[in-house]
Amino acid sequence: MTANLSVSIIGLGNVFLGDDGFGPLVVETFRCAYECGEDVEVMDLGTPGLDLAPYLYGKDLVLIVDAVHSATPPGTISFFREEDFVSSRAKLRITGHDPGLWESLAHLRLAGHAPSELIVLGITPESCTFAEGVSQRLVQIGWEASATIADLLENLGVACRARSTKVTPNFWWLPLVDTKRPTAA
Amino acid sequence: MVRISIDPVTRIEGHLRIDVEVDGGVVNKAWASCTMWRGLEAILRGRDAREGWVFAQRFCGVCTTVHAMASVRAVEDALALDIPPNAQYIRNLILICHALHDHIVHFYHLSALDWVDIMSIPKADATKAASIAEGSSSWSGNSRKELEAVQNKVKGLVASGQLGIFSHGYWGHPAMRLSPELNLIMFSHYLQALEFQRKSCQVVAILGGKTPHIQNLAVGGVMNAINLNSLATMNMDRLGMLQAILEDLIPFVQQVFLVDNCLLAASYPEWFKYGRGVANYLAVPDLPLDAKATKFDLPGGVIMNGDLASVRPIKDWKDDAFRKAVTEDSTHAWYQGGGPLQPYKGETIPDYTDFKEDAKYTWVKAPRYDGNPMQVGPLANILVGYAQGHPLTRKWTDSAFTQIASVHGLKVTPNDMQSTMGRYLARSIRSSMLADLALDHLELLKTNILNGDDTTYNVPTFPKGEVMGMGMHEAPRGALSHWVVIENGAFTNYQAVVPTTWNASPRDEKGVPGPYETSLIGNPVVDAEKPLEVLRTVHSFDPCMACSCHTLDVSGEEIAQVKVQ
Repeated sequence: MTANLSVSIIGLGNVFLGDDGFGPLVVETFRCAYECGEDVEVMDLGTPGLDLAPYLYGKDLVLIVDAVHSATPPGTISFFREEDFVSSRAKLRITGHDPGLWESLAHLRLAGHAPSELIVLGITPESCTFAEGVSQRLVQIGWEASATIADLLENLGVACRARSTKVTPNFWWLPLVDTKRPTAA
Repeated sequence: MVRISIDPVTRIEGHLRIDVEVDGGVVNKAWASCTMWRGLEAILRGRDAREGWVFAQRFCGVCTTVHAMASVRAVEDALALDIPPNAQYIRNLILICHALHDHIVHFYHLSALDWVDIMSIPKADATKAASIAEGSSSWSGNSRKELEAVQNKVKGLVASGQLGIFSHGYWGHPAMRLSPELNLIMFSHYLQALEFQRKSCQVVAILGGKTPHIQNLAVGGVMNAINLNSLATMNMDRLGMLQAILEDLIPFVQQVFLVDNCLLAASYPEWFKYGRGVANYLAVPDLPLDAKATKFDLPGGVIMNGDLASVRPIKDWKDDAFRKAVTEDSTHAWYQGGGPLQPYKGETIPDYTDFKEDAKYTWVKAPRYDGNPMQVGPLANILVGYAQGHPLTRKWTDSAFTQIASVHGLKVTPNDMQSTMGRYLARSIRSSMLADLALDHLELLKTNILNGDDTTYNVPTFPKGEVMGMGMHEAPRGALSHWVVIENGAFTNYQAVVPTTWNASPRDEKGVPGPYETSLIGNPVVDAEKPLEVLRTVHSFDPCMACSCHTLDVSGEEIAQVKVQ
């Protein structure tokens, strides 16, 4: 176990485009539910395009939460590693934050500053409609995703524990949905 | 005649479609279409005016801070609120470093590959390349060893057959004319630029609390606490840290970025003849030096018909002529109504049709200044400064001209700058100016604090009833203005007239096209299947059409297409 892995936990997405804002929602949920060491940065980066590179630069581990295009039913969480994208990467769709993650990663790899490990936690969105906020179902899945990240970090040897003092998430962009953590059944 | 449709244009932020008609290898008609709707103005209506900037900085995923800044300035203007000098300097430092970051990324990562042929790098003589690079710059990162390492990486990439993100370049295109050695030098800086992109982010993060969405702004100033005796606030240590980062960053801007652009200009002199387009220029004053914003480090002004002698200065943000001159028209944009309307009265009600070149064909409105299309961006910034004899603009523009003339034997004049190549060169000249100004503004901040001023914020008071305000910022892509109407402390109207709206403007109600469209007329196209030359001119504006849905695609769907009819 390495004591001081430098880690970035990054939420990507446009908070005003419905489920596209899943990434920012999850990192805010995670930030309020768990605490980690100084070497773990938890960030909502929005849709940074190539400006993503500085946040991946030289990290030991990068964990990205983002909405993904996928044939799975809405709300499905899937994990991807860098190699999952390599074969299809030339066929990646050019999207609104093009150039983005894979371009930043490729640049850093050539320059010798790529993160040692990269994991994408992807959600299949239900609806990416402007100004509607994240759908109710995804808000609840956000809490599960947050716990999943905590488990993942623990398995990778990164110190992370549930906060003893409650911090209320600040979902400033989401006035319309119930963002409370579901009570245990 | 051939019709080419590039949809979307790649290596830009956001969605842009360009259509051109080519006859005899030359473009004779062009249309620019933004294919994504940005409706954030609608979200801002009804919000507390003190929080507008938090939302506005999500207008765009890339130009976050610029919208935050224009937003607070608009509200402060409506309230006639002064900003403490410390807050001006801190804001200025953030804006400068954001711009440096943005310009570096634009040149190296978004547009260099229109000119630099990576596939020729394996053929380069690294020793010769090092001697060329060391002969044109005192930069320490140009050694043979350094260049050889980059060459080996490229060789590895080519040998693997997995070009990844580089697989769609127009390699070997006849319009690519740099020697293998120059290609190697430029690409080596392309990789080094990543480190300096990071350093400029660090400055923004130290001052802004977080990047890319800064946290320290407030209507009335900034929330940075200043106390030289406290560890937790802005103190001498923190100021020293900023100084050290800037001293690392500045040589890259002035000894690499600018030098590379001079080299590019000298290697492709014919590109000073193409891409002139709309020769009306607009830049707004920025980097205010006092609480009432009466003095600025970057001058603003208007130039009409490419005549530098005609420059009309915009002295400050209260400039009445500017406020009266700006309108937006929706005749050819996917919004209801036509116009032209003054931004305070602006409407943003979508009315989507398909791409109809004679009717509506884009999500971008047509902004006009006294009824004229205007070009904005670093070139406008440089030209209005140069025309007014602004010393810093002259210093760096003349330095670029001297470099191109003495090292490369090519004479460039301010008039030549009105071109595709001029827009590239202007961006690197502006960056060199900003690099000087970064240190100046850090010094201003330090001196002001040492003189005992620790104020960073003036409390805003919102009157009952309606007030209106306009906030300007000379952003990396050009003149930005936010126009707000506030009633009882909440927005009742919010319109952002953004740089890309000026440049990517469609035709207006009179059928007059915008800068992208005009700049493409006369542009050469050697191979209609590979319209590299069209990309050079479009990329020279640094298009940013971001703020759109952006989900990752893991299933391998359709990529960008060039359609030739």
